[in-house]
Amino acid sequence: MEKLMPVATMRRRPGRARDLVSRWSFIAPAGLVLAAVLAYPIFYALQISFSTLDLTTFGPGEFVGFENYEKAFRNENFMRSLVTTGIYLILALPLQIILGFAIAFFLNAEWRGRGIVRALFLIPMVIIPVVSGGTWKMLLDPLFGVVSWLLSIVGLPSPNWFGDPAWAMLSIVLIDTWRSTPFVVLIAAAALLSLPKDIYEAAQVDGANWWRQLWSISLPLLTPIIAATFIVRWLGAVKMFDIVVATTKGGPGQSTNVVNLYIYQQAFQSLKFPESAAMAVIVLIITMILTFAFLGISRRLENRF
Amino acid sequence: MICVLFLLPIVWMLMNSFKEQRDIMTVPPVFFFEPTLDNYLGNLQRADIGPRMLNTAIIAVGGGLVSILLGGMAGYALARIPLRGAATMGALILASRGVPPIALAVPMFLVARAIGVTDMHATVILAYCSFLIPYVMWLMRGFFLALPKELEESAMLDGCSRFGAFWRIIVPISLPGFAATLIFSVILAWEELLFALVLTSRDATTISIAIVGMASDTQTGADWGALSAVGMLSVLPVILLALAVQKWLIRGLADGATKG
Repeated sequence: MEKLMPVATMRRRPGRARDLVSRWSFIAPAGLVLAAVLAYPIFYALQISFSTLDLTTFGPGEFVGFENYEKAFRNENFMRSLVTTGIYLILALPLQIILGFAIAFFLNAEWRGRGIVRALFLIPMVIIPVVSGGTWKMLLDPLFGVVSWLLSIVGLPSPNWFGDPAWAMLSIVLIDTWRSTPFVVLIAAAALLSLPKDIYEAAQVDGANWWRQLWSISLPLLTPIIAATFIVRWLGAVKMFDIVVATTKGGPGQSTNVVNLYIYQQAFQSLKFPESAAMAVIVLIITMILTFAFLGISRRLENRF
Repeated sequence: MICVLFLLPIVWMLMNSFKEQRDIMTVPPVFFFEPTLDNYLGNLQRADIGPRMLNTAIIAVGGGLVSILLGGMAGYALARIPLRGAATMGALILASRGVPPIALAVPMFLVARAIGVTDMHATVILAYCSFLIPYVMWLMRGFFLALPKELEESAMLDGCSRFGAFWRIIVPISLPGFAATLIFSVILAWEELLFALVLTSRDATTISIAIVGMASDTQTGADWGALSAVGMLSVLPVILLALAVQKWLIRGLADGATKG
């Protein structure tokens, strides 16, 4: 037996090499493409952010250290766009999550035609963001918009939706909420269906009222799903760009200029590529830190409940 | 009731798309009017709408197919094949979903300019792979994890190679999953704006870009009929696709949320 072992391993070696190749060949094509279109651009952005731009090659020129980063941090408009993005996220995300779960609670009861309603809820979700922007621009138009007309019937003055800085941000939040809440509703509805029914029956026997059931049973059980939904919405919302481009273009003033749009303008309208690369890297780092923080929190919540 | 509220904007756009200009620009708004097809016919003949729809279709379907092929195989590897570093790759893919597109768009534009590949369909398709492949990998990984392991084990015992087992056993029984994931990717690519805006200028521009142009004109020229008609045309394929796979779409979304 012992003498046979080396022979056996020798024979297995080419087979193992082939096995290794066959294993990696599944993941290598995707890996190569992602290296080219994901890893390399990030590396390139880093490189540009530490240098000047050589306009003949569109590549990095002279190394300038942290100069572009200093400029970015001293750039008031950039900082303001970060704050604007923060305001949008703080307004939009909780609103969408709460509204979505609330609607799902009402939809949860068994009734006929629920399937159709679920299908219809899919529609706003897949409306192209720029089309939803355009549609809402028509709806909220101060002169000919349906919303202004409806408000005037009730006797309310119509705000200048896209013209007033504060209202413009609310309009963006409104459009985004219209498009994204159905997503939360669908996930929440699926989660509610999977809750064990016997707990509620037991709670009812014990005399727990509706509010008590919601607070002590549903919320703890739903916490992991709420956290996961929040993370998916967060990943979508930090990309906010399309709706703003189609409606306010960042205005009036800078009031809706989210950071993605601001960097876009700096790069492609002002042609300040190194500075915008530095800003993009800053945003990348902030997003990554927050994403991992949220993932960590959601995992902790999952373990607690 | 709430559902109706969510659908009203789309209904309104649909109505506007069949209205003449004088019926759109009235106070109070009219709900009964003589429908006209002018908005559709007029804009389909406009030089920039038809080709842009075609570009969008080429890029969305192309991006969908490339990412389903590469992402499907890689998702299978992550789910089933023991690989050193697979856990790290999984974490990296998850992290990549948090990369802001603008951090990719700026360098992509510079690289594409440097090597002279701007305004080409293939460039945009490749750029879309940066978010489509991770998405497909994650969805398909979850899908493959749910399949019984015995399937390919028995096939490989019968002398099938890993590739053979994948193509002959796994792919055929996973076709519904593949089809649904393909449709998600096509929808995602269809709706994209930023990369298209940055990487195209004339020959490969997409419908999103055309709509942004029309939407920003509304303040002055206010050709709402055209905007509504082109908007309807551009969302119709997506709505039909979404309704065709609605069961899978909801499951995919839920999976993407809970496992992603």
